[in-house]
Amino acid sequence: MSYRIGIDIGGTFTDFAVLKGSELILHKNLSTSADRSIGVMTGLKHIADRENLQLSDFLRRCAAIVHATTIADNTLIEMNGALTGLITTEGFRDEMEYRRGFKESIWDVRLAPPKQITPRRRRLTVPERIVFDGSVHKKLDENAVRECCRRLKQQHVKSVAISFLFSFVNPAHEKRTAEIVAEEMPGVHISVSHQVLPRAPEYDRTSTTVVNAYIAPRVTSYLETLVACLKEAGYRNQLMVMQASGGVMTKEYIEGSPIRVLSSGPAGGVVGSAYVGAAKGCPNLLCVDMGGTSYDVSVVLNGAAPAEAGWNMHHRYLIGVPMVKVETLGAGGGSICRVNGGTLEVGPASAGAEPGPICYGRGGRQPTVTDAMLVLGILSADSEFAGGSFSLSKAGVEEAFSKIGARMGYGAEEAAFDCWRVVNANMTQAVRRSTAEKGIDPTDMVMLAYGGNGPVFAAVQAQDLGIERVLVPKASPTFSALGTLVANPSIDEERSYIASAQSLDVGKLRSLWKDLDQRAEKYFKDANFSRDQVFAKYQMKMRYPGQNWSLTFDIKTNQGAEDLSFVDDSIGARAIDAFNKRHMAEYGHVREGETPEVVGVRLSTYVQTPVLAVGRGFTAPKVAAKVAKTRRANLGRGYQQTNVFRGVDLKAGHQIVGPAIIEEDFTTIVVYPEWSAQVDDAGDYELTRIKSRP
Amino acid sequence: MSFELNKKLAAKREPLPSSAKVDPVTAAIIRGAFETVCFEAATRLGRAASSPIINQSNERNGSVLDAHGRLAAVSIGTPHLVFISQLAARWGLLNFADYDWGPGDVFLGNDPDYGGGHLPDYNVYAPVFDDKGELILIQALQAHQGDTGGKDPGGFTLEATDIFTEGLAIPCLKLVHRGEKRRDVIKLVERNNRFATFAGDLAAMIGAVQHCVKLLEAVIRKWGPEVVKAAVNYNIEHTEKRFREEIAKWPDGRYEASVFIDHDTLGIKDVKVHVACIVEGDQLKVDLTGTDDRAELVGVWNTFANSRGYVMTQIASAIDPSIIKNEGLFNAVEIIIPENTIAHPPVNKPAALGSFHPACEITEAVCVALSQVAPERSAPQVYKIGMPNAVIGFKNGQMWMDQGVDTRTMDVSAVRDIDGWGSCPVALGNLLLSEAEDAESRFPIVNISREMTIDSEGAGRWRGQPGSLNVKRILEPTTAMAWMVSAAHPLRGLCGGDDASPYSSHFEVGTPNEYEVSLTAHAQLPAGAVIAYQHGGGAGFESPLLRDPEAVKEDVLDEIVSITRAREKYGVVLTGLRENYDLEVDLAVTQELRNKMMGAKRSR
Repeated sequence: MSYRIGIDIGGTFTDFAVLKGSELILHKNLSTSADRSIGVMTGLKHIADRENLQLSDFLRRCAAIVHATTIADNTLIEMNGALTGLITTEGFRDEMEYRRGFKESIWDVRLAPPKQITPRRRRLTVPERIVFDGSVHKKLDENAVRECCRRLKQQHVKSVAISFLFSFVNPAHEKRTAEIVAEEMPGVHISVSHQVLPRAPEYDRTSTTVVNAYIAPRVTSYLETLVACLKEAGYRNQLMVMQASGGVMTKEYIEGSPIRVLSSGPAGGVVGSAYVGAAKGCPNLLCVDMGGTSYDVSVVLNGAAPAEAGWNMHHRYLIGVPMVKVETLGAGGGSICRVNGGTLEVGPASAGAEPGPICYGRGGRQPTVTDAMLVLGILSADSEFAGGSFSLSKAGVEEAFSKIGARMGYGAEEAAFDCWRVVNANMTQAVRRSTAEKGIDPTDMVMLAYGGNGPVFAAVQAQDLGIERVLVPKASPTFSALGTLVANPSIDEERSYIASAQSLDVGKLRSLWKDLDQRAEKYFKDANFSRDQVFAKYQMKMRYPGQNWSLTFDIKTNQGAEDLSFVDDSIGARAIDAFNKRHMAEYGHVREGETPEVVGVRLSTYVQTPVLAVGRGFTAPKVAAKVAKTRRANLGRGYQQTNVFRGVDLKAGHQIVGPAIIEEDFTTIVVYPEWSAQVDDAGDYELTRIKSRP
Repeated sequence: MSFELNKKLAAKREPLPSSAKVDPVTAAIIRGAFETVCFEAATRLGRAASSPIINQSNERNGSVLDAHGRLAAVSIGTPHLVFISQLAARWGLLNFADYDWGPGDVFLGNDPDYGGGHLPDYNVYAPVFDDKGELILIQALQAHQGDTGGKDPGGFTLEATDIFTEGLAIPCLKLVHRGEKRRDVIKLVERNNRFATFAGDLAAMIGAVQHCVKLLEAVIRKWGPEVVKAAVNYNIEHTEKRFREEIAKWPDGRYEASVFIDHDTLGIKDVKVHVACIVEGDQLKVDLTGTDDRAELVGVWNTFANSRGYVMTQIASAIDPSIIKNEGLFNAVEIIIPENTIAHPPVNKPAALGSFHPACEITEAVCVALSQVAPERSAPQVYKIGMPNAVIGFKNGQMWMDQGVDTRTMDVSAVRDIDGWGSCPVALGNLLLSEAEDAESRFPIVNISREMTIDSEGAGRWRGQPGSLNVKRILEPTTAMAWMVSAAHPLRGLCGGDDASPYSSHFEVGTPNEYEVSLTAHAQLPAGAVIAYQHGGGAGFESPLLRDPEAVKEDVLDEIVSITRAREKYGVVLTGLRENYDLEVDLAVTQELRNKMMGAKRSR
């Protein structure tokens, strides 16, 4: 029996979704912030034990390990990446600070600047210039490059970004500069813009390259450590890594531009949501993911979570690579509750995994949302937590909320309840902003809740938002990990080529696509995929002269061996026809008398991943579930004895009427008053509102 | 077409009659839907347009107006366009029957004497009816077009004495009737424009508006027209209420400021804008009485709609940014703009350059006046650039223009606690400025430099962002135009901060023919000519002698401030060498020097 494993490392927990044939095995354990690979190996060992296999034997049977990580995002949130320098074209030193004039708010004069990755003293320039057709306008001054290296070394720079004008047309100067930097600054990480984002304009490319340089050493070192650990432990295949675009690829491919892993964990969750939602007949989803440190909101429309390239401002830096859209709020189980100026606040500061909430018993002193849930009886010190990894402890929890209560003028239980109310309101508002911005009415949506804490709050938020149905997949605690398992291995790249569609150089087009083809083939081969398995979309980017934005369309799709026979003398005419149709569909008009131009060619390739069966329907006979125990809990209507069910006891057809608590291995599902839960044929939960809105 | 008409267009409009009541959450969702539609309108236009002014500088704005011509929602654009979007459509509404408004119609207006800003700002708008044929909303989309068919390519004529010199003025023209394009009318408009891609850009505006009308119709169908109207009323009333609460926090009083333009386009010096902001309880009055009214001035006449909008641009930045921007703002402020001044010219005055100056001086004067009551939110939302170095050429008989709105810093003043940062004031934060790689791919130019210049920050406890030097080489013979201001009267510092550094411009740099443009230029430049535009920096906030010496040291390390200026302007003495990155503040000597400088200042 072979296994496929999806792993998602969050700020607090490391999640595992293991596919054993058609069986899905879930596991989660605490993340280890100092060296995250330790948490991964601990979890793999746990799963191997569960399967009664030695770790090495288990890993040898793994066909694929697919991995999503927040390491790049954490680096940008905490702004603790490598000390980075930028070498750029003389005269263009300040692009990173100008940001093309962009500011996040046009109304707030008190908007503070983003922290600079490359302050002016570390943005250095060299005489050189390539112009739009790729010709050299001014030769590269190599001595000036060496002088830049000297100055950057003096400032202890560990990672260097190189971004010259029009390098995406002619990369010679960037390549030579990278060689000199490697000579003069041995051991530094080098990011070159024509590799990270080979397209115009200069700010977009430079910003993406600078962020890449900033996060690269941490991402690369982390992935290398993990690969070494896996190899030593017996894993023989490639480690696949989730990308922000929603596809996965090998570590070697990612190392070419580590920026692709930004936001990869949340992307995995959204890909998984779209997949499960579609299977259950719910193409429009409001996806809410609450883990230990954050609350992520995303929207799936018509079964898709499209990646958007272009103007992606992420952690206040422009990232030009395609990314699945996810809004994040600092509200999770570890979010700290405190009184500030007479107001009760929850988050965004988080206790993380270490020391974590007080009830973890690891030295945490500040009360958190998880501690509040313990006081409210939603969680219990008598039950196992996190799949039995440890139990929660009440020691110190009540005292902490008593202190909060004393400042607010009531007792510990009331304080905990108010923390629950505040975090709920924060999350509901985040959803409202996210949907109102898009003009979406949440009442038209089905909520899909995941993450360890998502199902605790989902139904009460749904009620606030007027949503009547909530899906809680069995895999919800490790949903991002599951998403990595359903995401397709994919490579999506482009090359710049600017020419009128009436006078295309067929040889040039062919060589550009051939180059992209060969790159894709190499990386898919490294990932153990044969050419036959690769689907390819040959795409063109075109626009009318003067337009700043181009439209992309397929000119040919193909599976298997490379076939460039479509690149012939008629390609220009076919491209004009296809472009005009796209332009009419998109903008409602065609420019009569204007000939469009080609600005680039793209190759989008993917391999269909093995399909994970997701059941749907409620054909099993409905039966009332057996109550495992009762406990005193406050589910929004004051404390009362509340029925508690064990997830392992619940099978297809089981129905539970709220108020009730369902204890799953890695999550707790709260069935609030006026809600019911039923288990569908696949073992997933659907919560529905009993009383409809007036 | 008179002062009376302007009064009528600006007059307060009644709420929409509605039989429904709406809760705040539903009102917010509907507003969110409107804003998304506006975003779609502006974004689609930006993507489909070929003019760099629209697709690079993003000089476009989408607005949803209600059936009374009230601003119901805005999304993308600049406040300067946002707050003038209503009046042209209101003139159309006044002629509803004459112009036979109906579903599927699309109109165009740009006439400064009929509610417009200046001629290049084309306002394309379309009515949105419900299923029963009641007008509920108007989708408006404005964009600055590259030419207006007047005497000079680009629409800016330095010596223009009337609007007809500047081009084709359109009070209201129906471009689409009941869904059918009026090809004869559109052809006429296209024919009166030199810009190579104008026809496509106009088609893009029409297409974007038509698309958004469909989206708004869907919103009305989903919620019902009565709920939508109630939501518009609620949102406008809510904004007025919140705005008045802000005003009520300001101390009552009369706060005045005068700001000057160096000269008009013929060289008449010191053109004055005067503003008094009068606060009484929750009522704010802004009075421009005292503003220049010399009839002989040329090029400095700003239309009434613009003046009104530019007052609001600064006020909107001085209040809690979470207050939603809509008609409620105008309902809470009385704006007095005396007739026959440069802020409210008589009919047929040229209007193109007035959108630069005095428009920006009006905004600046409101800022200086309000800095006395709301210093923590005072930063001028201006572009003090006289007129960018527009480079204009012709290819195959059709015009192209590199309008010179390149990525660079200008006019980013400090605000209390925050140094000026980034490229532009926040109000311009939606512009994505032109990049060298895009411009050079389409125009015969090479950008040589656009870096910040050392010692060009307006000094202060919080300093302005430095100015920048924009240098480019022209590869073919072309025309270049400029109007130089903000050299004698740069952007004003606030609360004791220094003024910004001045602007300057040089043509044919590095040749025996090099000259500084001191007034205006309309030059034929040979191939290979280099032009250099020094953009003014931002102004400072409070005295530079109060600036944290460590912050001064950091500025020296970043080559924003020289060691000499650190000492002479900030009174900060440093040891070590910048080149060695080992600078330290000599605290004792610094304190001594600062005491001395403060004493000297007091005795002055």
